[in-house]
Amino acid sequence: MSQALNELRDSARQVLGKLGLAADENQTWPLLVELGWLLVALPEDDGGLEQGLAGAVAFHTELGRGLAAAPYASALLAIDAVQHAEFAQRQSFLERFTAAEYVAAPMAASHLDLRRDGSRLLLTGGVAALESADRATHLLLSSQDDRCVALVPTRQPGLSLRARNTWDPSRRLFEAQLQDVPLDPALLLAQGEAAQLLCRRLRSLRELSLAADAVGGAAAALTMTVEYLQTRRQFGRPLALFQALKHRCADLCALSVAAEAQLADTVSRYETRLAEPDGELAAKTARQLACSVYARVAEEALQLHGGIGMTSEHACHRFLKRALLDEQLGLPAAQAACDIAGAFIAAC
Amino acid sequence: MKPDNTADALRMEVRSWLHEHLPRQWRKAMTGCDQEAFVRAQREWFYKLAAAGYATPHWPQGWPGGGRPLAEQKIIYEEVARADAPRLILYFVSLYHAACTILEWGTQEQKQLYLPRILKGEVWCQGFSEPNAGSDLASLKTRAERKGDRYVINGQKTWSTMAQYADRCLLLARSGKSDPPQGGLSYFLLDLRSKGVSVRPIAQITGDDEFAEIFFDDVEIPVENRIGADGEGWAVAQSTLSSERGLTLVELTQRMRYALPRIVATMREQGLIDDGARRRELGELIPKVHAACALADRYLLKRISGEEAPGDASVVKLYYSRVLREFVSLGMRCGGLSAQFQEDFTRGGGQETGNWPVDFMNSYNWSIAGGSDEVQRNIISERLLRMPREPRNWQLSGERS
Ligand SMILES: Cc1cc2nc3c(=O)[nH]c(=O)nc-3n(C[C@H](O)[C@H](O)[C@H](O)COP(=O)(O)OP(=O)(O)OC[C@H]3O[C@@H](n4cnc5c(N)ncnc54)[C@H](O)[C@@H]3O)c2cc1C
Repeated sequence: MSQALNELRDSARQVLGKLGLAADENQTWPLLVELGWLLVALPEDDGGLEQGLAGAVAFHTELGRGLAAAPYASALLAIDAVQHAEFAQRQSFLERFTAAEYVAAPMAASHLDLRRDGSRLLLTGGVAALESADRATHLLLSSQDDRCVALVPTRQPGLSLRARNTWDPSRRLFEAQLQDVPLDPALLLAQGEAAQLLCRRLRSLRELSLAADAVGGAAAALTMTVEYLQTRRQFGRPLALFQALKHRCADLCALSVAAEAQLADTVSRYETRLAEPDGELAAKTARQLACSVYARVAEEALQLHGGIGMTSEHACHRFLKRALLDEQLGLPAAQAACDIAGAFIAAC
Repeated sequence: MKPDNTADALRMEVRSWLHEHLPRQWRKAMTGCDQEAFVRAQREWFYKLAAAGYATPHWPQGWPGGGRPLAEQKIIYEEVARADAPRLILYFVSLYHAACTILEWGTQEQKQLYLPRILKGEVWCQGFSEPNAGSDLASLKTRAERKGDRYVINGQKTWSTMAQYADRCLLLARSGKSDPPQGGLSYFLLDLRSKGVSVRPIAQITGDDEFAEIFFDDVEIPVENRIGADGEGWAVAQSTLSSERGLTLVELTQRMRYALPRIVATMREQGLIDDGARRRELGELIPKVHAACALADRYLLKRISGEEAPGDASVVKLYYSRVLREFVSLGMRCGGLSAQFQEDFTRGGGQETGNWPVDFMNSYNWSIAGGSDEVQRNIISERLLRMPREPRNWQLSGERS
């Protein structure tokens, strides 16, 4: 990690630490926009901080650690899509989307059919898992066959949003229904083969952002648990003295560190290949491991806290709920495992 | 030349050397063979590797292939794993434990005496564990009594891998009283042909006898064969134990990665290639295997840059040991009933030979030997997570101490 990125990461950790684990979107989002965190991966030419994928992953990790209630992953996906598309308004959109304006990108698979009607392109279908979509000016959508990626203004006839309350208090998810929504040619980001590549790149990035969220969350949940066990006393001694509990923490530590090493390795190897099938597979692989580790750590964290872990005021449930949702976002864990095995078997 | 070019060139050089020299069909030859044949084959493979300088890239400059930066050593081990070459089990202790200990603590005379002999094929074994001193190694009782210019050894060692084939032994024994018990230990380089030494192989759960007991009955060791000062044995032993970390785990994790297709082969043989449950288990295992590789790599990099923290090595070993167990038990589940029948196994074939029940049994090597999983968990929780240490004093109710 570069010196510059190290400093950025430390300051992010500090800022989020001050905000606290229960801060809401109204507190978190304006702050991260103001601090320029949306610019982390962009090159200098586009006014960015030039930290690339490693930078984005470092920030996702910190936001995961701090349970940040802001649609950062989704916003970065839209910014990345605009950055990698060739279209007239690229520059002005980049400026808008890294400042006050927010574009929601789906954090799970969507099912949208593209239909041609004369000269018009119409989109119909459903989109799940759009974070904070009520605040979004646009949605970043792609057709089911990956052959078209476009920005779609949120407020227009034929497009409806419905809030879906998840258990995870740090995320506000929406579903969108589209009925013959016409695509504005000026907002088409990619079509045909270029769109397929972009879609794959975005899926890889989405998986990596979830992996990083999980890596950060798992580390934080484990630290919190170890600290608790050191202060909580039963039977006249700190709980941290009981080997049964120490060993569980040691196992969780090995799992978390392994997931982190795996993610870092993936980032360094595949940064330039995210739009290729092996890049997408590597991203899935890192994410599959990280999210299952996060869920395991969060489950154990609650157990090791005892009764206090079941109270809403304690952060245990926040980690647990976010971990459980992370596992289902992007490509659901069960499907990812089957995909990884399928690709491996096919190559044998 | 850019460093990347050197690395690539070395990789290609090792790859083509292996292609040329690796005995064809060695797996077949080593499957179902007896130990004598295995030992012969190990010697032959060792001589080839040693002559090419690939057996000792971790030795300092001046020795064959020595003085290579860790990054280059890593490439050699990756290629050896990739080529699926035999593991040099017979020489593991000689090349790592003995060599590293002698290099770090040995006198000039000791280095000149023992290191060339290792290259010529002398086999060493490690005599640390005793029937009553395993995880609690410092409590060992084998005595080394100083008499003039010699020590006289009495006692017993056990679980000593390949001791029945060894020429020499790294011996840790008690030469004085001390509290804590670590203080009274001394470390010896023992010739196993010395009078009073007897070695008895121990049958293992696989039916094989890869380790042995060693008995010492008034065995005399000249003082010059002590390594480190009298009473300094514990510190010397730490070097021995840490020598198998780092590169060894890189090799083992890489081998595990290259062995993944063996599970697929078993799935095919058993008609399970489209079995959803097994595929899913495989899909969950693959990321863990990759993570084990990434973890071992990162640990090695930390060692290279001197950033290793206490407990780091334990994380790698514990993670590897757990993933290995999952790996071989998935293989065994895929094998089903057919994996319950005894089949010939492959010697020196690594931890994932595809003879799954044998691989499964051998996976306990890594969860018990070299500091068990539980001991690693103690180290991780106490050193890395900084949880408190177990209190030293205890008493069972009803028992007098
Ligand atoms: C295949 C193999 C090869 C070996 N090769 C060699 C060799 O070449 N040379 C050599 O000297 N030794 C060798 N050993 C011995 C090895 O180092 C010991 O087996 C190991 O240190 C464990 O000691 P033990 O077997 O006495 O088990 P014990 O120490 O009796 O442990 C029994 C169980 O209790 C657990 N336990 C012990 N202490 C604690 C604790 N403080 N907290 C929690 N749990 C604990 C252990 O994890 C284990 O599960 C080998 C062992 C094996 C299996």
